Order: sequence, then structure tokens, then C-alpha cells
Amino acid sequence: MVKLSHRMSESVTEPVLAVKDLSVILSREGRPSRVLDGISFDMFPGEIIALVGESGSGKTSIGLTLQGLLPREYQPQVAGSIRLAGIELVGSGRRTWQSARRHLVRAISQDPMGALNPTMTIRRQMRESNGGCEGSIEDWLSRTGLPDPDRIADALPHRLSGGQRQRVLIAMAMVARPKLLIADEPTTALDVTMQAQILDLLRDLARDQQTAILFVTHDLTVAASLADRVLVLYAGRIVEIGRMQDVARNATHPYSAGLLAARFDLDSDRRRPLPTLPPEHTHSINVEDACAYATRCPIAQPDCTAIRPPLELASVHGGAVACLHHEQTPYLSAQRADAKPWPAQAIQETAALRLSSIGKTYPTGARSFWGRRKPQSVLRSVNLSIKLGECVALVGESGAGKSTLLRIAAGLVVPESGTVTRFDKLPPQVVFQDPVAALTPWLTIGEQIGERLRAVSLDSDYGRRRVGEAMKLVGLDPVLMDTLPAEMSVGQCQRAVLARAIIVPPRLLLCDEPISAMDVSLAATTLNLLGDLRRRLDMAMLFVTHDLAAARIIADRVAVLKDGELVEVADPDAIIAAPQSAYTQSLIAAMPSLQAAGGR
Amino acid sequence: MLAYLTKSIIGAIVVLLVMSFIVFGLQSIIPADPARAIAGPNAPLETVEAMREQLGLNDPAVVQYGRFLLRLAHADLGTSVRTRQPVYDDIRQYLPATLELGLAAIALGVALAGVMAALQFLIPGSGGIRLVMVGVGSTPIFLSALLLAYFFWFRLDWLPGAGRLAYRDFAGPTGLNVIDGILVGRPEVSVDALLHMILPALALALPIGIAVGRSLNSALHEVMRQTYIRTARGKGLSETKVLLRHGLRNAATAPLSMVSLQVRLLFGNLLVVERVFGWPGLGLYTVQAFASADLPAVLGVAIVFGILYILVNTLIEIAQSIADSRIDL
Repeated sequence: MVKLSHRMSESVTEPVLAVKDLSVILSREGRPSRVLDGISFDMFPGEIIALVGESGSGKTSIGLTLQGLLPREYQPQVAGSIRLAGIELVGSGRRTWQSARRHLVRAISQDPMGALNPTMTIRRQMRESNGGCEGSIEDWLSRTGLPDPDRIADALPHRLSGGQRQRVLIAMAMVARPKLLIADEPTTALDVTMQAQILDLLRDLARDQQTAILFVTHDLTVAASLADRVLVLYAGRIVEIGRMQDVARNATHPYSAGLLAARFDLDSDRRRPLPTLPPEHTHSINVEDACAYATRCPIAQPDCTAIRPPLELASVHGGAVACLHHEQTPYLSAQRADAKPWPAQAIQETAALRLSSIGKTYPTGARSFWGRRKPQSVLRSVNLSIKLGECVALVGESGAGKSTLLRIAAGLVVPESGTVTRFDKLPPQVVFQDPVAALTPWLTIGEQIGERLRAVSLDSDYGRRRVGEAMKLVGLDPVLMDTLPAEMSVGQCQRAVLARAIIVPPRLLLCDEPISAMDVSLAATTLNLLGDLRRRLDMAMLFVTHDLAAARIIADRVAVLKDGELVEVADPDAIIAAPQSAYTQSLIAAMPSLQAAGGR
Repeated sequence: MLAYLTKSIIGAIVVLLVMSFIVFGLQSIIPADPARAIAGPNAPLETVEAMREQLGLNDPAVVQYGRFLLRLAHADLGTSVRTRQPVYDDIRQYLPATLELGLAAIALGVALAGVMAALQFLIPGSGGIRLVMVGVGSTPIFLSALLLAYFFWFRLDWLPGAGRLAYRDFAGPTGLNVIDGILVGRPEVSVDALLHMILPALALALPIGIAVGRSLNSALHEVMRQTYIRTARGKGLSETKVLLRHGLRNAATAPLSMVSLQVRLLFGNLLVVERVFGWPGLGLYTVQAFASADLPAVLGVAIVFGILYILVNTLIEIAQSIADSRIDL
């Protein structure tokens, strides 16, 4: 095994965290599975390491293991060594862990909305984090860039925005002056502009406080804008480790290269399907003596399933890589470029959906004596029409009114003013953000897809054939017809939701942030699938997103919504080349990109 | 808050009006004839008719209802057929005993619920508690009251199981013996009153404890999965602190609603339990009133229980808004 430290030249600083041969087994419903397998790495004070991988790669488990917070009901078995500030944590008692969590390691989570106790003021939660002391609470709140820290400290969490809550959580973690901060996808739930600010804050904290930050993310672009080093994780193993810029430029493991290729930004080619990672195979091999990625790997050789590749020095970038044939990886990108362009789409002049001067208010604030609340306007006289066969992306920050507009288009919310005209007599189909929550847990996938075939029984051959066809169309194996949603992955659930929407092909498909909770390669796969379906079934589409890059790739026109008003509607590339409104300009400026990160 | 209180008072008045209307309706529907009841079963028809006239039973319904409301406003609930005393005076005499027992039962029930739920979270593998809860929960109140009385009083003689107090002539200023004993400086009275209360209060508290405990348990299960619980654990707090500071308060809303539902059932259970333990309260009074078709007494108690229920409900809503500061009253 190679020495993994890249800081040797700088000084003889002791690592603040030394993880050696860490393995974790969790038992779900009595079935043990190894979620982490032989993880070794060091972290130095002030260093930022990005931990990158798809969902299910074990990256969140590393964070929880380092805090000793793996869920008890899974009976975690931890082996190996975790030395944090010189203290061995594996096998240590409850009190040692509690004291480590109090003083040494803190975490901020993916979900700032849920991570604060809703019934406790910020001040009390901060005080608890600070060993009961009042001192330096407001100091830290203002250091994280919160205006009026005194007011924020006395507020309850629901009065704060998502960005403010994430800052509070950072302040709450930092007030304890931890040696190690675990940031688990801290910006996924935030808008791009907010994301850029939080990343800046973390970078400053690492530098000024000498806190080591383990930054967990699925997004290599975000990682590249922040981290010193990167660990690429696949199926609980480290497959590549190296300096961030080196790996971003010369990814050596085929998996890292695939992750990089699947990432899309404002410069991606939108005329053809996005490159994606090869799909995960349902049949898995015994990975004890094999490369776990072998079943998906485009350059796999017979020996890949016979030998477990050790983590070896990567000559290309001086880091380490666990691949027997990594010298082949550079040829991968050449293979990918030749995807066929999308066929030309016929857009008709007739409108599939016409929204005319839509207005909507929601009650907010304190109740008056008679229980009424002040109405606050969410949408102000919005005009938008989508032609048959056209895809329009609706872009805006959270709270801009995007989802409300989509619900009005779907007929789920009644607008206070304006009219909604749809070409189709059938209600339009909606694809929501969380595919797992959008499926009924106790009905099989087949039953849920077939539900829309009202007159047809699912037991009939015809019914099963129709469901099977719909499943094939979305790339779902018809064998899965009789499984329950809980037995499927998120990606499969998303396909099932789409199959349900298109089994009776609608003229209009409404998508509400369908990719915002997905990792990069799944998001790219979903965008490809939607692009394919709408062309093949000739559907018009309204695609709501906060991600300008996704909007540009999927849509024929982009509409930018700001505070309930449309500020811009135009061709995606025209908007990005010459944004008319200040708001669109700030959206574009905040987009992280590998190119920009390289210059850091 | 002020607005909420004003609103709940207005609401209470409306509810009481509706209740008075139902009570009045019952009086006129029920076949029992108060005139006949007062005059006696063997009285001649003329006497009964004179009694009807005297009671105003021959007036139009609206006039009767108006008169009924007017009497209610003066706290005049009529005269008990059985005791021949104003129902209001009877209720004043018996209410403190019932209040004392009811409050003790609610407090004990809530405590039981809290202990059971906390044990399940702090001691892993304590699924046995659930089994016990199901077993106790499926025992009807008349049986559990009898069993408690039989074992702990009759067989083991550990605790008293009849009446409120061994000191027959004791009468304190508030009528709540436990408090009165302290007020007049006779702590032995308080202790005795508490001992007498244990068995009946326990019988009443068991169903409350089970229902509230289950509701608290499922609410806690939901809450303990939330991200902010992980945040709290991530601060290095002990598991007990996480549960008490972050879990319990966020899980309080549903079990508190359950308490107010249980209080309603408690009024019914009081009838059984006071009868079993010879507790001289409103429950026993009502049972006796039933036996002698004492309609004014039964309706008077119904109105008192109605008022108590509205009060409890309001208190619980206030408690919910304190537990969850996001609730705007």
C-alpha cells in the first residue's frame, strides 16, 4: 500500500485524523452488508478533502462512522482504526464517543431545514453546542455572515431561510472549535447563489480556524471548487485518491472518469444525449476478490473479476488508484463523444398549455383576531404558453413560485386570477421531485403503472403487455412488474413514475424538480430519458428546476421566474450568452465549473 | 393569546348553549314524568296535574326553555328528586372529591405514559413493555377496578379500598383533602387521603397511561428519526438529554390531544370506579341518581362535566402551544 499523504513536503504536521483499514458492516433486516471496506486516509489541520461518489457508495456512512452515529437498529460492526487528534475511537466506549463529538468532530447536514430543533430557539441550541456557555455565540453567528445575530439567536428555526439555517448549523458546529468538520452535501438543498456563498464560508473556516473539512458530495464540480484533495468512493472502497485538480484533470479510475464525464454544465453539448455512467447491473458478483466496478466498467478485463485491485500509485497524477488497467482510462472519453444527436423535434404552433395572467396569493404571517392571515402574492400576472411538442424549463430560486405555477398548470391549485387552457382533455401528468414518495408503498410497480388503464384489468394479458411496454419505454425491466417500490433503487422508482405518466401518453408532461435530489450520473440519465420520451411520444413538457444547466440541456425555451414574475423567456443559449435581467446574470455567475476551479 | 382566550370563551358559551338545548330536549323526551316522580307513584291524577302546572310543564316549549336558561344562569339546576336538595348544592358537595380523584388520575396516567415511553427508548430490547401495555389496555375498567380492589385491599390489605378518608369528621376549606390536610396543619390527613386515592386513581390512570403512552411512543419514534435528533447527538449530548430535551417536546402535540380525549372517557369511568371504591364524588352521586330516575341530578352533572371538559380542552391547547412554539393561538 502506498503512502497516501500529499502533505509531506509542507511540514511534519501530525494528521488530525488517521483512518486505517476501516470496515463497517450494517445489518438491514438481518442481512449484513459491508458498506465500507478497507478505507484508509489521513487528514491534516486546515485541509479540505472531498469525498465523492454516487448515492449508495458509502460516503455518508463514512461521515456517520467518524461521529459514531451509525444507526443502532442496523447493528453496526466497525473494524479498523480511527485516530482523531490522537485518540483511538474504534472500540471505545460511549463516553469517549460523546466527548469526541463534543470537542473534536462536528457535522453539518444535507438538510438544513430539518437539522434544527423546531421548538428551540437558535440561542439555546447554540448554547448546548458550546458546553452550556453563552459566550461567543453571537460572534460565531456573525462570522458565518448572518446579519443581526442577536435577532437570529432569539428566533425559532422556522423563521429562517434555508441558507440562514445552514449558516446557523455551521456556526453551531464551529462554536465548539472542532478539529474535524464533516459537511455532508451541505449545499444540495440550496440555490446556486446560496451554494457559492456557503462554499466560500467553508473555505475561509478551514484556512482561518485550521479545521479539517471532510466535504461529502456527489458533485465533482462542487468538490473541485473547494477541496485540496479528493477521495473517490465506489461500493464502500476508495478507488482513487489524489490532489483535487489532478483528479479533475486526469481522472485515472474509469469510475472517476465516468463521474466527470456525466457531469453537465453550461457548456455541455445539448444537441445529443449526455454521457452517463454505465447502468448498475442487478446481478452482482462476489466482490471479495474482484473489482466492485467490474460489472459496469467499459474497460473491464477477465482479471478484474479475479483479483481485488490494490490502491497503487497513479503515475499520471501522483495520487493512488485501485484499477488494474488504469492506463486504459484516457481512451474512454474518446469512445463517448460519438453519441447520436437528438432527432429534430417538430414543434407545432398550437399551444399545449396556455397560462394567461395567472395570479396567486398565499396567506402568511401571524393570524389576526378572526384567524385570517395577510395574503402574500406568489405569482403576479404570469403569461406563459407551451406549444405542442415543445419543452419549456421554468428556472428560479426556491420561493420564486415555480412549483405553484406547475401546480396551477396541473389543475391541482386554483389561481385567483387568470386562465389556464390545455390542449388535452385528459389531466396532464406530473412527475414530482421525490420518486420514492410519489409511489404508494404497498402497491406493486405494475399495479401503479397500470392504474391509469381504467377499463383494463392488470391480470389480463393485454393489461400486462401494456404495462410491460410502458416499462420498456422508460428502460425498466418488465420483470420488475411485481416488485414493491421499497425493493427498487431511486433511479428505478423514477423510471416507474415516468412509466405511470406515459402509459397513456399525455400531450403535456409536467416535471417538478425531478432531478434535484439525484446524484450527477442519475440526473444525466434522467435528463436523457426525458429527452428521449418527449421526442418519441411527442409530448410538450414543463420542466421546473433551479438548475440552469439542466434547464438548458432539456428545454427548447427557458423561462426565468423571480419573485412571482417572469423576467425572461428565451432560447437557452441566448439567455446564457446574453442574460437580460440582473437576476439571470447572478444565477449564471454563481454556477460552479471545473474550469473556474482550476485557476484557484 | 388574549385573542385566543376571548375566542375560547365565546366558543365555550356557544357549546354550553347547545348543551343546554340538548339537556332541555332530553327532559321533555324522556318518558319519566318529573311531576309523577315528585308526587309519588300512588298520587291521584289531579295531584300530578297540579304538580305539572306548578312546575310549568304545561307552558309552551320556548317559554320552558327560556325559563330553563334563566335558571341555569342563576346556577339553579333544579331540585334532586332523590336527595330533595338543590342539585347545585349536591354538586358543590360532591365535586371536590371527584376533582381530587380525577386530577390525580390524569397526573398518574401521564406519568405512567412518560415512564413507559422513555423506558422503551432508553433500554434496548424492551419490547415486553408493549405486551404488558396491550394486556392492561384490553382489560375493561370495571374489571381492572375490581381486580385492584380485590388484590390490594381485600386480599393483601396493603392499601385502603373504600371511601376517601379514615377521619370521618374532617372537613377542610377547599374540600380537596390532600391540600386541606396541609392547610390546616394535619399532615396525617393528607397522607391518609393520598393512600385512599392510590387504588381508584390507578384504576382510572391505567387506560389513560396506555392510550397516551402509545400515542407518545409513536410520536417519539417519528421524532427520533428526524435530522435534528442527529444534530443533537452530534453535539455529544447524552442519550437521555437528547430524548428529554429534543425528543419529548417535539413529540408532545399528539399525546396531549390524546389526554384531552381520555379526559372525556374519564368522566364515564369515574362512575364505575367511584361506585367500586365507594368514593363519595359526582360519579357515585350520578350512579345513585340513575337508580332513582333523578333526571335533574343527572343533567346537572352532565352540565358540570361539559364545563370541565371545555376547560381541560382549553388548557391542553395552551399546553400544546407552549410545547410547540410554532402553534399560533
